[in-house]
Amino acid sequence: MACYQRELNSAPQIHPIRFAAIFACCFLVGIGVLLTPPLQTADKVFSQMLVRVAHAVVQAFGGHATREAAVLRAPGGFAVEMRDGCNAVNVVILLCSAVLAFPASWKLKLLGIGLGSLIIQAVNVVRFISLFYLGQYSMTWFDFAHAYLWESLIVLDTMVVFWYWVTRVLRAGAASHASA
Amino acid sequence: MPPLRPQARFLLRGSGLLIGLLTLWWFALLTPMLWVLESAGGVFGGLLLGGRNGELIHQNPAGDWSFHVPLEMTLAPAAGQPAQQVHSIDFDMPRSDVIAFTFSLPVFWAIALALPGWRQNLRPLVIGTALTAGLELVLLVAFAEVSAHKAAAQLSGVEGAADAWILRFGEYLAVSVLPYAAPFFIALAVNPRLRWQIFQWGADPESSRPVELPERKSLKKGRG
Repeated sequence: MACYQRELNSAPQIHPIRFAAIFACCFLVGIGVLLTPPLQTADKVFSQMLVRVAHAVVQAFGGHATREAAVLRAPGGFAVEMRDGCNAVNVVILLCSAVLAFPASWKLKLLGIGLGSLIIQAVNVVRFISLFYLGQYSMTWFDFAHAYLWESLIVLDTMVVFWYWVTRVLRAGAASHASA
Repeated sequence: MPPLRPQARFLLRGSGLLIGLLTLWWFALLTPMLWVLESAGGVFGGLLLGGRNGELIHQNPAGDWSFHVPLEMTLAPAAGQPAQQVHSIDFDMPRSDVIAFTFSLPVFWAIALALPGWRQNLRPLVIGTALTAGLELVLLVAFAEVSAHKAAAQLSGVEGAADAWILRFGEYLAVSVLPYAAPFFIALAVNPRLRWQIFQWGADPESSRPVELPERKSLKKGRG
């Protein structure tokens, strides 16, 4: 006769259904609020800010480009615009929803949201610059990388950022259990 | 060199698989997947939205898709024209936009295979593939319905701010959010190893191993 021996988990208990429900609510509300007219205006300003950063990075590495609002233009005429949905705000909402749904102290949640958002936006600036150069080389590869490859890579990055954060939270929880 | 953390290994494997599988999808799998989506979408959409089977979608010679969504509405009388009854909304969608509804599958495969261990990944891979394919179908039909309602609202010229927001929200979820995020949610839902690694929910599937218990000996009552 065989039975399965299970190792007991020392980590604090997290209810999957509670996590999924809070996550879904936060995510849907976040996306809903993002689509309201006032937030759409702020979203455009944020996109322009990201393009300004991307422009500065291109120039810092000796590249040539001009910037106009949310458009980055190459000397050859090719231009790429950061539109709604390209500024990774929806992915940041995804991360924030997951962090808010996971049981942790507010200090750790703020750390996760702040640092995680910074990492995602840094990856997004790299994505935007890579698309700027890829588009000058091939529009087919630009379409593929823009609509599919980079989008899924950014969601994967977000998942891994969240995973690092959860590990940190569980360690902090285990440490506080040990010290108690 | 110190060994990589599980998160870094997952990121590297997942990124490599995403690049490989999405390239394979783009160059080889896209056409057959679009054919399957068109056939299944026609049948499923017919069942869900009404109308004859296969009438919802057809491909035009340029490769773009034409949608025919049954929708009953009455247009108010306009200058010199009587009220008009509308029975359906027709609209075209370029092939480049339709392919977004086949893209979740290779993304799911990449995430499902990013954890090491072929044999343990096989069952979640099969279940998740079925779920992802089903979701893509639902998203396509939802997109067709939302687009038809948007067109109807434009035709009638009476669209409130709340209605416009609801339709935009539905379209945004169906086109810009769920095709990208759902494969990750499905991978977490169907793979207990991935759930354990990230959340440490439940018991560690890696540590579950069979343990032989000693055979039960029959007790004989002795007479003392």
